Amino acid sequence: MTGSPTKSQILKDVASVLENRLGVVSAADLERETRFFADLGLASIDAVVLGEAVQDHYQRPLPFNLLMAEIGGRADRDLAIGELVDFIEHHLNTV
Amino acid sequence: MPRIAANNLSFHYQQAGAGPDVVLIHGLTGDLSIWFLCQAMGVIGRAHRATAYDLRGHGYSDTPPSNYTSADQAADALAIMDALGIERATLVGHSFGGVVAMHAALIAPERVTALVLSDPSFAALRHLEDLNRWGHWENFRQEAADAGVELSGEHWYDLTRFFGQVNHLDGERLLRFRQAVGLPGFNRLIKLARTTCGDDAKAESGLTAERIGEIEQPVLALFGEFSPFLATADYLTEHLPRCVQRRVPGAKHRAPEENAAAFVALVDEFLMEQRAGRVLASVRGTE
Repeated sequence: MTGSPTKSQILKDVASVLENRLGVVSAADLERETRFFADLGLASIDAVVLGEAVQDHYQRPLPFNLLMAEIGGRADRDLAIGELVDFIEHHLNTV
Repeated sequence: MPRIAANNLSFHYQQAGAGPDVVLIHGLTGDLSIWFLCQAMGVIGRAHRATAYDLRGHGYSDTPPSNYTSADQAADALAIMDALGIERATLVGHSFGGVVAMHAALIAPERVTALVLSDPSFAALRHLEDLNRWGHWENFRQEAADAGVELSGEHWYDLTRFFGQVNHLDGERLLRFRQAVGLPGFNRLIKLARTTCGDDAKAESGLTAERIGEIEQPVLALFGEFSPFLATADYLTEHLPRCVQRRVPGAKHRAPEENAAAFVALVDEFLMEQRAGRVLASVRGTE
């Protein structure tokens, strides 16, 4: 991979991972506002598996433990896809 | 997704960190994500190798039709330890996971260094509890009612009855329930509801009061400040020779969710104390 992917590329990558690894059929319609649990109907265990699949895709470790702990502290325990994209983009750019 | 074959089943597991082994066992209808959401994987992983797995019938592990007693699932825990090359470990179990952890410590005491029992309820000790205090069950009943499943107040936390109702939902009520729990969660619950898990989890399966009293390992009895099972907490403290009791402030039955920071800090403190104690014993040549 040359250079870090843009946010729009990461959004496409996340959609691809959701479709291929978690069987989310509506992944093509994914938007930044789409909620991981409320809209896609996924559960926190799926977030663990998604985190792993994303790290496989980019072939580098990303601190998903921190993201999961932050979700655990939220009242609605949900995550917008845009937040996930920002998280991935931030850490792909952190050496 | 890492999977391991054990007891003729395939289990989903996750690991973090390096050091003495700690195995994390979640409760019924949950999955290993609880250990990520409460940050146990990250905190424990700083000085230990934390291994969490999905119980049979839960998360991404296989769902056999039967054999869900604490004895069966303790055998799973030990088989998973074998398969992952974990000779000895401290077992941390929440709710039914705590029952599984204790059962594993009785089956193979030489494999279990210490136990953290988070709000377990043992079939053999259920007579000690005033079940009316279990607000969690009332909340659960209300959530189920909102989603179209009516549960009788006479049958406290009866998973068999709950699963039976879920299995017989139809039409509008099925749709409402599916919307309330989400499709993947619904599919997993339906799979579990078609097993013997509900009845099996209520069985004593050899974990009698006498056997519970045989636990010799250090035990942290970690209960929510407002847990419905505080009589069990006191029983364990009185009857086990090396048991200390701690309460998680503000928590009821689900301390890892209700006060994650305090829960994980208390678990980590216990693990570090145990580790320091073992190092000292080793230096003195007593272990």
